Amino acid sequence: MTALERPPRAPRMHLGSEAQPPTGKYQWIYLWELPIRVMHWTAAVAIVVLATTGLYIGKPFFMTGGEASSHYLMGWVRFLHFSAAAVLVTTGIVRVYWLFAGNRFERLAALFPIRPRDWANMVKQVKYYLMIKPGDAPQYLGHNPLQQLSYTGIYALTAVMVVTGFAMYGQSNPDGMFYRLFQWLVPLLGGIQIVRFIHHVSTWIFLIFIPIHVYLAMRGDVMERSGTISSIISGGRFVRSDVKYVDE
Amino acid sequence: MYFPSSRPWADGETLSEHLERRGVSRRDFLKFCGEMTAVLGLSSAMTPKVAAALAAMKRPSVIWLQLQECTGCVESVLRTGNPSIGDLVLDVISLDYQHTIMAAAGHQAENALQQAMKDNKGEYLLLVTGSIPLNDDGIYLTIGGRTAKEILVDAAKGAKAVIAVGACAHWGSVQAARPNPTGAVGVSEVVTDKPVVNIAGCPPISDVVTATIVHYLTFGNIPELDYDGRPRFAYSSRIHDQCPRRANFDAGQFVEEFDDEAARKGYCLYQVGCKGPATFSPCPIFLWNSGTSWPIGAGHPCIGCTERHFWDTMSPFYKRMPDVAGFGIESKVDLIGAALAAGAVAGVAAHATATGVHQIRERRRERELPIVNQPPSGKKE
Ligand code: HEM
Ligand code: SF4
Ligand code: SF4
Repeated sequence: MTALERPPRAPRMHLGSEAQPPTGKYQWIYLWELPIRVMHWTAAVAIVVLATTGLYIGKPFFMTGGEASSHYLMGWVRFLHFSAAAVLVTTGIVRVYWLFAGNRFERLAALFPIRPRDWANMVKQVKYYLMIKPGDAPQYLGHNPLQQLSYTGIYALTAVMVVTGFAMYGQSNPDGMFYRLFQWLVPLLGGIQIVRFIHHVSTWIFLIFIPIHVYLAMRGDVMERSGTISSIISGGRFVRSDVKYVDE
Repeated sequence: MYFPSSRPWADGETLSEHLERRGVSRRDFLKFCGEMTAVLGLSSAMTPKVAAALAAMKRPSVIWLQLQECTGCVESVLRTGNPSIGDLVLDVISLDYQHTIMAAAGHQAENALQQAMKDNKGEYLLLVTGSIPLNDDGIYLTIGGRTAKEILVDAAKGAKAVIAVGACAHWGSVQAARPNPTGAVGVSEVVTDKPVVNIAGCPPISDVVTATIVHYLTFGNIPELDYDGRPRFAYSSRIHDQCPRRANFDAGQFVEEFDDEAARKGYCLYQVGCKGPATFSPCPIFLWNSGTSWPIGAGHPCIGCTERHFWDTMSPFYKRMPDVAGFGIESKVDLIGAALAAGAVAGVAAHATATGVHQIRERRRERELPIVNQPPSGKKE
């Protein structure tokens, strides 16, 4: 599909103006189009598989005995790791395409909190989470600046995992495509062990991110009835019509 | 087994004539040529070509510089318990200048070097072992009043090919390990105007040196190199991909301590720090000590000695992860990572509790719910 023939986007809504809200108090707003939602959940599964199999590759905590020929434990774990890696890369390609084909909440610009207002709001958001000023969280339809920063960070980290992962993967066949594509990284970082180290350590950043991410999404739903979780399943969420949203 | 002779390879004599005089049969010579062809990864149809070129060869001029080093490479390459024809070839050709094994000393030796460089300008093969210290104007290594850098630059000028033998000449090795007090670098950092062949390893396997020289003598050029200047015929596969213990790796069978049951069974050494997955070297194929064994074969993990900066990036040698910043934090990455991840879970739980408490307090104060309107029931969300 080219950018020209992309499906019609959800009309941009001005809250409380032309679009008639369902109750007068709330209205449903479409945020995340299908490719983004599919990408999110596929990547989530892939990352969980990658982190688990990766931890095993890093420290094989189960071992087999007897003859080597009757087992293939590490072999299968690595196979799973590389298969999930292929899935993750596919979702990455979809995401990059959607940086240009997506709606304004999904596009490249939505990834970066670069305006001064964003930074002020980020401070407010932090204060809100720290319960210093609980009532004062700036309201966003899409991602607030803190979310933008952390999700963009996770995208960047995924890119780091992919390039370091393929740099290691390519070494098993120096005549192959992956070696040619990713070997430049090795002298750049000062050796394959540094590449391996970065790949290993970054895994922990995912494992730190995941519980915080899940908690904050659930908390948003409970505390603000924000519909965050349903938005990444159905694509949209109900928002209050009487609130002024920063990114309306 | 061949013994060194006191009669050197004379100018004008061909290699086959010389070897014959040393008691090498034609048959053994052809076998050696066949082996070299195989080592170089050439088709066996090339053996006659290699044999013909070598047999007709006149004594090449070779200058061997020893710079900042421990002489281990010279030992590894030139001295073996049971010399093969390959060792003999190295033995007989390295005659013009090699300050450790040549008879001359002092000014006489220096003159021999100058004479060889002058007589064979543009024709000689330059072998270098050892690194070049650059700090403080190179005062950490001087021979005959000249610094290593001056000697090398001078000798490289008239060389037809430059072969850096061993980790020191490759990138500096142990002298170049953090903090590298003498500013040691490899040959390719000083000789930049012509290709330098890096025979990696600390020390390298002598067969690789012999085969590289055979290639040069047969074809008149250096073999194909990888991104780090190492000959591809020897350094194009990882230890891990040629290792006889790989079946144990794939099966999930690992040594955890050097005296455990798994070690006795010869399982994979991954968990005791084997750097085979990070190291390109032909050790499992060429083997060491006249084909007797090799480190992993003897139950010791590979330490990655053919890779640049291995003292820094492959150590600790018995741990899988490197000590990147040099203060040991890295060996605890998993502990730190797990602690932070557990901390994130605990923090999230604490935050949830605090939120609950805060919420209850607010409600008590206000006696009303903060957000009132629910989405209408039955409405699709
Ligand atoms: C979120 C993504 C990923 C996570 C969390 C992850 C995690 C890990 C971990 C923890 C290790 C063990 C490192 C060690 O201790 O040596 C590992 C190894 C590895 N990973 Fe990943 N990884 C990810 C993505 C990828 C991708 C995209 C590739 C691309 C092919 C990849 C390829 C590899 C390879 C080749 C190894 C080394 C396997 C071996 O040496 O046998 N990884 N990964
Ligand atoms: S490479 Fe190793 S063995 Fe060779 S001279 Fe240097 S330290 Fe010695
Ligand atoms: S012993 Fe080392 S090189 Fe051999 S399979 Fe195990 S990790 Fe790989």
